[in-house]
Amino acid sequence: MQLRLLRARVGLAALLGSVAASAQVAEFAPRATVFIEPSKTSKLLVINPSAELSVTATDWLELHGGYEADIVSGATESLKGGRLSPVDIVSSATHFKDTRHQVTGGFGLTRDNTKLSATYSYGTENDYRSNAFSVQSGTSFLQKDTELTLAYGRGFDRVCTTNFADSDSPSVKSPLDSSKGCFTKAPDRASRKVDLDNFQTGWTQTWTPVFATQLVLYGASQHGFLENPYRGVVIAPAGDQALENHPDNRLRLAVALRGKYYLRPLKVALSLGTRLYRDTWDILGQTYELELERYMLPDVRVMLHGRYYTQTGALFWSDDYTGGEPHDGPRGQYWTGDRELSPLSSYMLGARMVFKKNGDPARRIAHVMLGFETSFSFDLMKTNLKDFTWGGSKPDDTLAAIISLGIRGQF
Amino acid sequence: MLKLALLVFLLGLAGCVTVRPEQRAVLADPTMQFDSDPGDGAARDHVLENREGSSGGTSVKGGGCGCN
Repeated sequence: MQLRLLRARVGLAALLGSVAASAQVAEFAPRATVFIEPSKTSKLLVINPSAELSVTATDWLELHGGYEADIVSGATESLKGGRLSPVDIVSSATHFKDTRHQVTGGFGLTRDNTKLSATYSYGTENDYRSNAFSVQSGTSFLQKDTELTLAYGRGFDRVCTTNFADSDSPSVKSPLDSSKGCFTKAPDRASRKVDLDNFQTGWTQTWTPVFATQLVLYGASQHGFLENPYRGVVIAPAGDQALENHPDNRLRLAVALRGKYYLRPLKVALSLGTRLYRDTWDILGQTYELELERYMLPDVRVMLHGRYYTQTGALFWSDDYTGGEPHDGPRGQYWTGDRELSPLSSYMLGARMVFKKNGDPARRIAHVMLGFETSFSFDLMKTNLKDFTWGGSKPDDTLAAIISLGIRGQF
Repeated sequence: MLKLALLVFLLGLAGCVTVRPEQRAVLADPTMQFDSDPGDGAARDHVLENREGSSGGTSVKGGGCGCN
């Protein structure tokens, strides 16, 4: 047994040694992002640390791995009711704290102008498990003026819920009160499948020495338990509550077109983009983006960007399911308390500063690095919820800030 | 069918366009890349996907770098 262990260790050391010996570049990229959404009752703070490591082992093989976490804390309303609901919604806000861990690993193969890569990721948190793999391929031709990419991802997720039977009437299913007992043999807990398929293809084209475009087509299929397992909805005038009830299937499609043009007189790279989104829940989303980026110093560039987004609500979304009219009443057999399914629009304004320094094998930065990059970004997002209310009151958590700091070093 | 024909036409049109390698200095610059800071973009997309009803269609790496 000990001899076998020793052989395994020697073999592993030899493998790592040979990879390290032939490695051309190793890249390490830690990043931390903070999302803050202040509110009197439903504030939210998400801290997202992450780190990626990639090693170009040979001129055709790259290995990559990473870790990230979502450390979420705040308070949220666990019960949704609208203008007519006879229940005190705001006092249903409960404090919570949860952490999601995710590890990824994969490889990339490069040959001439073609690249193929594959990645596996595993994520875990108290009430959710995810397993996903993705493959991406890309090739360029016509003297690299044209680049095509194709990607497919498959997720096998499980979400924790209360232990109801699928045959139970939706109106008697109850939401989770906590994640305690999830993914154990606790009799009052169950786990349900969420299957995810994602396809994306991109076409990047350079048209002139200062103008390029990119067209992206995206499709996704979701199947399984797509509700928030914690959220209840007031569904009857007497105050009866039930777990959200969403359709089991959702097909999502998006098409995005972006253009980049370099304004020589201003030395500014101008980017304009638009995206149209449609899904089988009848949400129509439109996104418009503008970016301006230029060098302020030889190694420092600054980017300003603005984004406007608007969407219609899901077909079955209603602010209140207790009324008799369409605006304040049920819309079919489903109900939701998810404000992301309500009609809304949002503005985002932000800036990013990047410092990038390139070295070379003969003149390494700080004697160790072939390249170094650090970026800092700050974004403010204001959301306008057109009809969504908490028991008739407009939510106050509609202004959010996103702060991100990243470092990238090549060795 | 019409969309496919349009795509074939555009790809054919793209074949007529040639930006020579020595003309790629601007295109190769990070400011002209569609995904110049993937970490920052991914962090923002992660937030937006949890705040909006839509998703997908985000930028993919590409921009005709031509840096051999």
